[in-house]
Amino acid sequence: MDSDIEMDMESDNDGEYDDDYDYYNTGEDCDVERLDPKRADPEYFEYECLTVEDIEKLLNERVEKLNTILQITPSLAKVLLLEHQWNNVAVVEKYRQDANALLVTARIKPPSVAVTDTASTSAAAASAQLLRLGSSGYKTTASATPQYRSQMCPVCASSQLGDKFYSLACGHSFCKDCWTIYFETQIFQGISTQIGCMAQMCNVRVPEDLVLTLVTRPVMRDKYQQFAFKDYVKSHPELRFCPGPNCQIIVQSSEISAKRAICKACHTGFCFRCGMDYHAPTDCQVIKKWLTKCADDSETANYISAHTKDCPKCHICIEKNGGCNHMQCFNCKHDFCWMCLGDWKTHGSEYYECSRYKDNPNIANESVHVQAREALKKYLHYYERWENHSKSLKLEQQTIDRLRQRINSKVMNGSGTWIDWQYLFNAAALLAKCRYTLQYTYPYAYYMEAGSRKNLFEYQQAQLEAEIENLSWKIERAETTDLGDLENQMDIAEKRRTTLLKDFFPVDA
Amino acid sequence: MSSLPRRIIKETQRLMQEPVPGINAIPDENNARYFHVIVTGPNDSPFEGGVFKLELFLPEDYPMSAPKVRFITKIYHPNIDRLGRICLDVLKDKWSPALQIRTILLSIQALLSAPNPDDPLANDVAELWKVNEAEAIRNAREWTQKYAVED
Repeated sequence: MDSDIEMDMESDNDGEYDDDYDYYNTGEDCDVERLDPKRADPEYFEYECLTVEDIEKLLNERVEKLNTILQITPSLAKVLLLEHQWNNVAVVEKYRQDANALLVTARIKPPSVAVTDTASTSAAAASAQLLRLGSSGYKTTASATPQYRSQMCPVCASSQLGDKFYSLACGHSFCKDCWTIYFETQIFQGISTQIGCMAQMCNVRVPEDLVLTLVTRPVMRDKYQQFAFKDYVKSHPELRFCPGPNCQIIVQSSEISAKRAICKACHTGFCFRCGMDYHAPTDCQVIKKWLTKCADDSETANYISAHTKDCPKCHICIEKNGGCNHMQCFNCKHDFCWMCLGDWKTHGSEYYECSRYKDNPNIANESVHVQAREALKKYLHYYERWENHSKSLKLEQQTIDRLRQRINSKVMNGSGTWIDWQYLFNAAALLAKCRYTLQYTYPYAYYMEAGSRKNLFEYQQAQLEAEIENLSWKIERAETTDLGDLENQMDIAEKRRTTLLKDFFPVDA
Repeated sequence: MSSLPRRIIKETQRLMQEPVPGINAIPDENNARYFHVIVTGPNDSPFEGGVFKLELFLPEDYPMSAPKVRFITKIYHPNIDRLGRICLDVLKDKWSPALQIRTILLSIQALLSAPNPDDPLANDVAELWKVNEAEAIRNAREWTQKYAVED
């Protein structure tokens, strides 16, 4: 069955196509995807879009698991899991090795409490301690302050009965009202899981159950729980909030890499690892560096690379308003490349010189001034191309509208039906996808060290660039419903794109 | 205005009854949350001999949030800017409700003895303090004589 379908697909590429099939073909290489998708598609990514309720359930399961193993309260289990990226195994292992150290680093216990020397080695002692921490309910123990005797709270300076006092493992005791006001102040500032003891220089953390015991106002309780939930999700490496505006979805994947996740609810696409716009083949740190750099330098860059250029032949001023770099002057009909202003004839072959930046080999001998200029020139080379593709992508809607208009007029003139022309939309979608990847190859190239690998990268980048320009040109000039040529071009462009990603996209699972 | 919290009353009483050496804090006649503060420059510091005026205000949610303190007398110090604002951890993120006016003023006095140019507020002063400490200290002495010593 499978092989039959593959046969079909292959004959497609040879030009013998079945019209029925092609109407619904999205332009993807279906025959390749039938193989193991993890190997065939460098962008393949398995993930789930979950709701807040799903995640709460998932986290609670982890908490319960730890409760049963360590016999501690859910509140302390949450603190331990938060501190260990929700890795139950790591918590249990550390607990078995040195329970005391675990409690100190998780800020459940203060570092230098005079405890018996067995506490650091004996798991039983520490476990007893955990039990005590959890079940005592944080009321300052009766032995320290008899309930009938009154005590002064160091925060409000009022004397109250001993049973109004609460303290953490550090023993700093404050009255109920002061704790409550303090918690509300902290929650108001957006602090939840990181609320610490009120005493000076004491960093013992206040667990959830004490906060929720004392804070009774529903608004504050809700806020606390919301903020705490955010902290839990952020500390979990396999979870990522969808960055879409007002979107409640959380994406979950066991593969923690810079792959693209697309939210099911709001359709925002983003990098799973860093939550920014998807940026293959560039990795998270590099794209961050690049975007910061662009934000700093954008004014200069904008100033230098103006939005218009003169026709190299007749010098008429041209504003670029569409996607393709292959320009044809409306005045003198000269064909030229928008990037280098050279004759387009030299760009037709696979060797697309224009996307290459040639390092000046004598750079070391030049003065600092020249080096600075050279650095700016290098940056602008990459920035211009990055910006150019970004602009083209922003004009995508316009391009599609124009396409629709053209198809309308074709149909009105009797050349083909609306359905006959649908393939152009698929082609435009593929073009956008390729252009997106191409855009993100420029920051990658900018930070690459010169050498054979960079040469190979820029060679592949140039090929992708050339195929994209061909495709763009063909889409804008498509005159017939004979789609064989365009289909071929789509196939080639997508192949170039995946080849580049396969070779250079860091798959660090 | 709501009645003064017991905590503020207690602190004020104690400040008056057992004053800290070198520090004088008196509440304003019309506003018990506003204090007129005088800190004398610590011995063996470039601020020695100076009398520095400060203002201290206890915000509505004190002691949940830190008091607001500002130098009124001009001072040449890497952690105090032109407007007298002070860069001190216990006034910001290290504030704890268990701290008091007294402890805060002691911290400010300690800051005069030990300037910290690595965490600057007045950048030009901090810079000089790092590259030419002798000159910075000379400047601090000069300013102390000029602005903090009454004839």
